[in-house]
Amino acid sequence: MTRPAFELPVVGATPVDHAANAAAFTADAARTTWHDESLWFVREKRDRAAASVPEWEALRARASAIKEHALTHLDEYLVRFEENAVRNGMQVHWARDAEEHNRIVHGILADAGARRLVKSKSMLTEECGLNPYLEARGIEVIDTDLGERIVQLRGEGPSHIVMPAIHLKKEEVGDTFRDALGTPAGLDDPTALAAVAREHLRARFLAADATLTGMNFAIAETGGFVVCTNEGNADLGMALAPVHVASVGIEKVIPRVEDLGVFLRLLARSATGQAVTVYSSHVHGPRAGQALHVVLVDNGRTRQLAREEFWRSLKCIRCGACMNTCPIYRRSGGHSYGSTVPGPIGSILTPGIDLQRFASLPFASTLCGSCTAVCPVKIDIDAQLFRWRQRVVDAGYVPRSKALAMETSVRVLDRPRLFRALGAVARLGLRLLPARVERLLAGPWGDARELPAPPSTSFRAWYRRNRRGGRR
Amino acid sequence: MSTDAPARHDASGAGPSARDEILAAVRAALPPGVERPPAVETLASVLTAGSLAETFIAAATAAGAEVTSCDRAAARVALSSLTAGARSAFTFASAPSAAPGTSDPHELADLDLVVCEPALGVAENGAVWLATSDSMARAALLLAQRVVVVVAERDLVRDLHEAYARIDVRAHPFGAFVAGPSKTADIEQALVIGAHGPKAFTILLVHDHQTGEPS
Repeated sequence: MTRPAFELPVVGATPVDHAANAAAFTADAARTTWHDESLWFVREKRDRAAASVPEWEALRARASAIKEHALTHLDEYLVRFEENAVRNGMQVHWARDAEEHNRIVHGILADAGARRLVKSKSMLTEECGLNPYLEARGIEVIDTDLGERIVQLRGEGPSHIVMPAIHLKKEEVGDTFRDALGTPAGLDDPTALAAVAREHLRARFLAADATLTGMNFAIAETGGFVVCTNEGNADLGMALAPVHVASVGIEKVIPRVEDLGVFLRLLARSATGQAVTVYSSHVHGPRAGQALHVVLVDNGRTRQLAREEFWRSLKCIRCGACMNTCPIYRRSGGHSYGSTVPGPIGSILTPGIDLQRFASLPFASTLCGSCTAVCPVKIDIDAQLFRWRQRVVDAGYVPRSKALAMETSVRVLDRPRLFRALGAVARLGLRLLPARVERLLAGPWGDARELPAPPSTSFRAWYRRNRRGGRR
Repeated sequence: MSTDAPARHDASGAGPSARDEILAAVRAALPPGVERPPAVETLASVLTAGSLAETFIAAATAAGAEVTSCDRAAARVALSSLTAGARSAFTFASAPSAAPGTSDPHELADLDLVVCEPALGVAENGAVWLATSDSMARAALLLAQRVVVVVAERDLVRDLHEAYARIDVRAHPFGAFVAGPSKTADIEQALVIGAHGPKAFTILLVHDHQTGEPS
């Protein structure tokens, strides 16, 4: 197979060591089990919701085809979306990268004299690092999604794209609220905590000078967009603030309104097992007296689109189903990926932004393919994980020990006599050496595993002895 | 480019614009074209059991709404008792009625109840389509503690495909499918009703049969 020309992404900060981060997470076995079960609970809800729709597979196929069509005609649909959005009274901005996005948003807020911004969930602004950028310039930024507010108060990032605080226990949320909002010590009832957050955030909504939302879908045909939430936070922000900024990655454009029927039937069922989110809000222009700005952001998406092996990762509609089902994500937690979008989909998107930094992510997988099986837009996530591993090796970003082991294996497997001789040595060694030494030789793989008892002879010898009727 | 000054978000002058550069990068990157799939009728949802109304009631109830199926007379009685019990109420229908004395949505911060008539209800998921150009009505939908919607059984559609075929999303700057009261499960997956928006969502599903009631 010939490989396409491959442009190496820019080198950035310290590489993420997913295995080390996961080891730190799993050190607390009870918590790991709790986290695993919480996510599996969501996966099961997704299964029931999907099974209740007989035409589910037809919907997935169509969603995938619409996205592939949209991405392969993206220039046309972006231009059409812009034209129609402007006609609807929106101001459209374009940002090549995170820095430009942040400058544009700050420019809009500065021009409007806005000091208090309420945000609803937007993984794009996490990706761009918007909050610290604005805070450094004197703008108060309040994340209003409950999960996002919790992690914001703790100085963390979201650990999941749909359930940002899924890694936290209610007692920890209680402690956070006690410290930040002055709730009584020991208050950890979710209903009570949510009620406190409601009052705290209601005041912020009413006082906000501006609101920022993401978009789930931008509609080329009408120049409108759709925002989905359960809490109503995006809607409250949009309904009250005099300035609304909606930031969106360029891959989120869909051709037609009718396509929404397909995507909205899949999104919530895949994400949380609900038939639909509480609010699926369609915006086709500012309110009377409101300014509505749209920021279309590239930030590496055109580079990913150019990659023959990986462009289909851009079909993602951010439901998070691949995280909930992933045996690695469930047992390592979202923060272990060190990436805005964690889990299987993050592990095929993020290496495209900085391969060296995120070289460990394609290996944070068993390649079991469960992610691909649940993906509502049929992204071949496991195949892309496998292909990224090859790119990581090509680029030389694997640890020397692993590379050496692979090179040695190739040399041994290439020489049948050497292979047989070493096999005999290994069978003898495994019988004689203490288990402790054996595990050492097995590397990290041996950390939690017993090596099998060695057979007394090689398969080759066994076959020779046992075959009937001689060579055929 | 100076880093600290806010960007002029209109065209900045020197060099190609971000728009042109992004569109050029997209064009250079485009994978081989994939045709738009032809419309497929088989996508329409298959109602496994029961009528549209039964399916709608089950789905809306699952979404946390309180659904009452009634005829017009009963709906009117239920509505007047709901509004009579409310501290403040805001009503809007297809044509906004009872225009409030102000146009600042912040004035509705303490609103108790909003009553509205959605254009349609969706059986498969229990959502209703609420659209408006009125800023006050839009804010009321989110600020009110309780929402009451009155939807006619004949305005139920099977699924979202049918819903989108009926509505014009461009007719108003804002339109939403709303399914039940606002909710969150962000703390340990525990379902909490009444996140930021309404804490209760009542649906009066009005049927025409067996009633001689004049409209």
